[in-house]
Amino acid sequence: MLNALKWWWGILLAFSLLACLRLFAPLPFVNEVLLFSIYTIGCNFLLGRVGFISFGQPAYLAVGAYAAAFYLYYFGTNPYVAILLGIVAGVIVSLAVGPLFVRLRSDYFALVNLALTVIVFYLMQKVLAGITKGDNGLWFLANIASTPLLDISRADQFFIFALLVAVAIWAFYKYLDDTLYGACCLATKVNEDKLHFLGYSNFRIRLLAFVIANTTTALAGAMYAIYLGLVSPEIASPARAADPVVVTILGGAGTLYGPLVGALAYTGMKDVISKLIGNWELFIGFLLVFIMLAGEKGIWGTLEPRLTKALFRKRDVASATKGRASR
Amino acid sequence: MIDAQLLISAVIFGLSIGAIFFLMAIGLSLCFGLMRIISLDQMLYYSLGAYITYSVSVASGSIALGVLGGMVVAGLASFAVERLILRRIYDRDIAFTMITSFGVLIGGVGVIKYFWGLVPRPVQIPLSSQVTIAGTEVPVYRLMLIAISLLVYGGLWLFLNRTIIGKAIRAGIESIEHVEGLGINVYRLFTVTFIIAGSLSGLAGGLYAPLIMVDPQMGLDVLAFVFMVVIIGGLGSIKGTLVSAFLVGQVVSLGSLIYAPLAQMAPFAVMLLILLIRPTGLYGTAFLKR
Repeated sequence: MLNALKWWWGILLAFSLLACLRLFAPLPFVNEVLLFSIYTIGCNFLLGRVGFISFGQPAYLAVGAYAAAFYLYYFGTNPYVAILLGIVAGVIVSLAVGPLFVRLRSDYFALVNLALTVIVFYLMQKVLAGITKGDNGLWFLANIASTPLLDISRADQFFIFALLVAVAIWAFYKYLDDTLYGACCLATKVNEDKLHFLGYSNFRIRLLAFVIANTTTALAGAMYAIYLGLVSPEIASPARAADPVVVTILGGAGTLYGPLVGALAYTGMKDVISKLIGNWELFIGFLLVFIMLAGEKGIWGTLEPRLTKALFRKRDVASATKGRASR
Repeated sequence: MIDAQLLISAVIFGLSIGAIFFLMAIGLSLCFGLMRIISLDQMLYYSLGAYITYSVSVASGSIALGVLGGMVVAGLASFAVERLILRRIYDRDIAFTMITSFGVLIGGVGVIKYFWGLVPRPVQIPLSSQVTIAGTEVPVYRLMLIAISLLVYGGLWLFLNRTIIGKAIRAGIESIEHVEGLGINVYRLFTVTFIIAGSLSGLAGGLYAPLIMVDPQMGLDVLAFVFMVVIIGGLGSIKGTLVSAFLVGQVVSLGSLIYAPLAQMAPFAVMLLILLIRPTGLYGTAFLKR
């Protein structure tokens, strides 16, 4: 019981803080942060754990979003089924392109994913315009039926749903880090020859990681679709392809809570700065350069050791848990 | 069936697009070849070249002067960025340089927005005359683009093969340690290469400006295409970049002749196909680690 509590401690604390934020910040902001952090954690896993930098996350986001949108627009009304379909579509697409992509070197991997994003963008905008309604997008807010227990067609209840999903996803990724598989992922990033020598298949490890990460991204896409009630090709826009990478780096690549902190900082700064000076690229660009030159640890990556240290002086137990919880 | 006139003009159009692609991608390719960095900030010098061309041509009325100014300013900007930022990260991982240079690109777009605003700017076409080739009217400016890109390729070839600095750069591509062992300052070579790459990107922006609208996002818009050209050709190979630029130009132009939406998508499908057959691109070598 106590061990279970120790394990859950960090996740529960992080998300209860976020739930508290709901009291002060407007609802769209908190929802945006939650969705963005779910969107980013896939990229964070690929970059920080497996060593793949992907400029193609919008492609998988769009796959999930369009799977949900097609169902809600043409076939059914249940949002939960739509989310499930989004996940299934994510698995199918990443299984289809994965074996091809994960064989590539890290730099080629980034570029090929970007290419996939462009393909998906034009596919949705032009080639399949008959089904996707091109640039106008699919509007289906009215089609979403209200569900009994948790009515996710309403923004305030969607927040609770997103919070629960996020907790589940974070627990899943924390569990992954603890398993042998998580160790293998790190090993394939650090030294693939050695891992090969130990008898593991780099290809399989990477493929599994690719599928897990991109399915999470597709799930985020399906949730975006239901939250916004519309899906347009803009969601796969190549111009926004670097957003998840920027947020990952901002938060601290490879840390468990990095995506959450990064998404919070990114969304917050975007709101504040675009109101103050209106020149948002200037700021985020130089911030990115600064973080990279300062040691690429990101906000959480820098903050975490200090927090651990500060807590360590006061209470032994808490720091021990924390140190383990947020490797 | 497609008639001959349409075909000829499409091929010329494709060649001129290819010429621009070559100039845009060559900077990225050169930087990867010598320094092993993926320099996304080349797209910043590209936009900068286009904006300077716009400003100078409005002030003085001469596009040629504008393109020249664009090249010079792009070269200066690349010099500053190399000295201030990239110099510190040469020994880092490739993905690291990619993210850092992307930060420079985004920040630079912010600077451009600050100086020139958000409104797209038009640039006059300097040569609006047409010539007739095999019964088809072809704009002279597009022919000029093709000629300039071939000249640049020839000039680069001469520079790399006939001058001592060029030879040192080529040797550096093979093995940095040996060049250092000969007593050559490698970091100075890096700076020279980076300035050349930056000014060629600026040249591409200046030359392309009359054919498009100059706006702050223009560098990000072409990023995917530049990537693709470099990947198909093989990172670091100048000859590969030339071949793949013209290949992509033709695919864009002929693809749009067959079915319009193909123009944007077909090249990426071609890229996936080529990567399936040769994971390192047409002329790329297996992974070289410095």
